[in-house]
Amino acid sequence: MLLEVKNIDVYYGMVQVLWGISFNVEKGELVTIVGSNGAGKTRTLLTIAGMKKPRSGRIIFNGKEINGLQPHQVAKKGISLVPEGRRLFPNLTVKENLLMGAYIKKAREKRDETLKEVFELFPRLEERKNQVARTLSGGEAQMLAIARGLMSRPLLLMLDEPSLGLAPKLVSEVFRSIEKLKKVGTTILLVEQNVAKGLEIADRGYVLENGRIVLQGEGKELLVNEKVRKAYLAI
Amino acid sequence: MFVSLNLLLQNIANGLLIGCVYALVAMGLALQFGVMNVINFAHGEFVMLAMYITFFLSFSLGIPGELTLLFTFPIYFVFGYVVYKLVIDKVIDAPAVSQIGITIGLLILLQNLALAAWKAEPKAVQSTFLTGKINLGSVVVPVSRLVTAVVSVVVLFLLNWVLNKTYFGVSVRATSDDMRAAALMGVNVRRMYAVVFGLGCSIIAIAAAFIMTFQQVNPLAGLTWGLLSWVIVAMGGLGGVTGVLASGLILGVAEGLEITFWDPRASTAIIYLIFILVLWFKPKGLFGRR
Repeated sequence: MLLEVKNIDVYYGMVQVLWGISFNVEKGELVTIVGSNGAGKTRTLLTIAGMKKPRSGRIIFNGKEINGLQPHQVAKKGISLVPEGRRLFPNLTVKENLLMGAYIKKAREKRDETLKEVFELFPRLEERKNQVARTLSGGEAQMLAIARGLMSRPLLLMLDEPSLGLAPKLVSEVFRSIEKLKKVGTTILLVEQNVAKGLEIADRGYVLENGRIVLQGEGKELLVNEKVRKAYLAI
Repeated sequence: MFVSLNLLLQNIANGLLIGCVYALVAMGLALQFGVMNVINFAHGEFVMLAMYITFFLSFSLGIPGELTLLFTFPIYFVFGYVVYKLVIDKVIDAPAVSQIGITIGLLILLQNLALAAWKAEPKAVQSTFLTGKINLGSVVVPVSRLVTAVVSVVVLFLLNWVLNKTYFGVSVRATSDDMRAAALMGVNVRRMYAVVFGLGCSIIAIAAAFIMTFQQVNPLAGLTWGLLSWVIVAMGGLGGVTGVLASGLILGVAEGLEITFWDPRASTAIIYLIFILVLWFKPKGLFGRR
């Protein structure tokens, strides 16, 4: 098991936002957490990334307990979060953004090699490598955010709402690249509001509602689940 | 009122030379403010203290003021690193009011320590290699001021190179852009802040070592340096080294013109006036923000 989240409770101030969340991700899997806005998907990822401390429960990554670590320490363990809203470095060039992705020591040694691979995956970024990130279009910015996340050669890539704010055509493009990443063996934890798309490409999925996991199963299975169809797919 | 052309040219030359140092001193602040958004009111007192340390080392080791840099550069890096860890780090996420309060406390502390240690009378370094004058037509340029200006510009562009062309520089700019995203990349943001604060202080140490070759220091000297630096940061925005250098030169020349046409004792007033005008008409700075 690559990532095991066991029964975590998370509070924002006095308010509990995650209730006994448990799930896991195997090596090579594409797992998705779906749910509506405010269900706690982003908070779950931020907790794993060390931006939020769980009040109770455990997070075990690659056999080691990582709850309580600072974000930069979690990054060193091999977890890469592509945050909601992309959070690119707006005044850095595309290439500089990518180089920042390879900040951790382990990734720094293979920086040039990884950069080549990432440019093969996203040729458009190579064309724009000297362009300042804030001048990119929405689709390009998302590609850069994912590419930056890959630069650390992560054991686990966490994607937070990669389709958010993109035109439908670009959404498909983003999902195609996620599938491509899965094919080359990247382990992915994907958080999506676009429930249908998320479950379609995932091996397994978890449905989050009001900070609790209410359903889990294989992606295809959940897609045809009566509750899921009624609540999220409007069928 | 009759003003001789010679006097005017002389004062503009003085202004340009001193403006370079103003820029260097302000660059330390611009770097710290730009990266970690901390409001440090004690910046001028850091300059004052560095000038005293320059005096002290020059006096007790019997070496020229500018050579004390070999010691003050590393000492001041450590000083900045420690001040960050002990003081600034505690208020880094706090509202501006807390930062202003705590750094004004630091200002008063350093001022009074200097007063206790060196008394109120001004101190000057006894020896420097930078003596003599150069005549450029009718304009007389002291070697100490000329070298100081050249060193300032060189250091500014060296810093610019580091920020733009090295991986350390990229990570500094990334942290300045989005510290949370930088943390996700694996940057230990708090340590980065401490290093940048130390670096900003090292820049002050360079400036102070050379300023002491033509100026004296007294316990209140920090006030003007602090004011100057904040005016330059406000003017230069966060437009980088060129914005800071241009702003320093503008202030230096404005001072020179003021001295020519009015009263030398009022030169600080002109700095305030420029500050107010900039905040009034160009609150984002003359050179925009990045």
